[in-house]
Amino acid sequence: MIDCTRYRQAMLAQPHDADPELREHRASCPECTLFTERLLRFESGLQRALRVAVADAVVPLRPRAPRRALGFRKGWAMAAGMVVAVVVAGGLWLGVPRSSLAADVVTHMQEEPQAWRRTDVPVQSAALQDVLRDSHLRLAAGTGLVSYAASCHFRGHQVPHLVIQTEGGPVTVMVLVHEHAQKPVQFDEQGYRGVIVPVAGHGSLAVLTRGPATDFGTIEHTAHRVLDSIVWTEDPSAPRP
Amino acid sequence: MKDQVGGNHKRARFEALCRSLRPDLLRFAFWLSRDRALAEDVVQETMLRAWKAQDSLLDEAAAKPWFLTIIRREFARSFERKRFVTVDVDELVAREEPMLAAAEEQNLAELRAALFKLPDEYREPLVLQVLMGFSTAEIARELGLSGAAVLTRLFRARKQLRTLCGEDTSLDPES
Repeated sequence: MIDCTRYRQAMLAQPHDADPELREHRASCPECTLFTERLLRFESGLQRALRVAVADAVVPLRPRAPRRALGFRKGWAMAAGMVVAVVVAGGLWLGVPRSSLAADVVTHMQEEPQAWRRTDVPVQSAALQDVLRDSHLRLAAGTGLVSYAASCHFRGHQVPHLVIQTEGGPVTVMVLVHEHAQKPVQFDEQGYRGVIVPVAGHGSLAVLTRGPATDFGTIEHTAHRVLDSIVWTEDPSAPRP
Repeated sequence: MKDQVGGNHKRARFEALCRSLRPDLLRFAFWLSRDRALAEDVVQETMLRAWKAQDSLLDEAAAKPWFLTIIRREFARSFERKRFVTVDVDELVAREEPMLAAAEEQNLAELRAALFKLPDEYREPLVLQVLMGFSTAEIARELGLSGAAVLTRLFRARKQLRTLCGEDTSLDPES
């Protein structure tokens, strides 16, 4: 059995470590539970702090003379042309307002790799409630362990981005109240497999996993389980003040 | 004709790969260099080198660590070529203020400023772990360290960062 010092040292190095010995110690020690809650709150801020806005940092959209200090070589002219094309395409890609919804969801996932950890540590209840409240919904029991909750900027709106731990691994859910889907859509892009399902009167729900291990049937089952546990706290057809 | 189609396909795949990885690569380069302009240059140069060396990327699933290795080498090269003037951290923070202060919350801006103050040997593994989602073994491989050394650096990084941010560290272990 490890002691408090060893536990806290391990957690400061790997806050999402799911080692059973650590879990056991945490369950038996109120002080280390408090320490963990504080640490995970700090960690959540750290994750957001590191994700600086790339749009502010993108390479200019037109070719420029590379700095001499970086030793641009003549023989690379062709490759340079190609990369400029990539950069331009990348810039445009960032700026396209209404590309495929599935592609945008996948792009968003790539910006939050830290959300995919397998863990048994639930997100703080208060943080989860804050995220859900902004979208006028709450989750009934039976959703599963929610390990990550963030209110993310997506297509001009703040949307809930949740990660639910399932037997097959972490599953990401985005509640897209402003995105209306006509029918369910399956997608398998850039290492992410998922579904977007319509939600009557409330836009749509995107549910996805990373890697090819999970089949679409399981993902759709998860999507319907989450849908069943969503309780809308505001009628979207009601007049707004 | 067949060669041209194959070449176009190869190029399209490479462009797609660059597009999907570029946001994280820029962020990594930014935290590595603490200089937005240098980060942009390093990522641009990295893509050039990656294009030239793409045949050595055998598995696209391993593209991220492959690009990160090139970025780290490129960053080291830029230091070899350029004699950097020693700059006070507060000046660095002030110089990159628009980016650091683009946070919607004051405490995020403070956290970013504190990250600037972390020694390189602590900041880099922390960024690899938290931003890039690397495991301890992957960080160790990338930095040429033992797993134990990586864990020690991660522990010290968070400990220093929490102190710099004025967090309640009363429950933190001494060492």
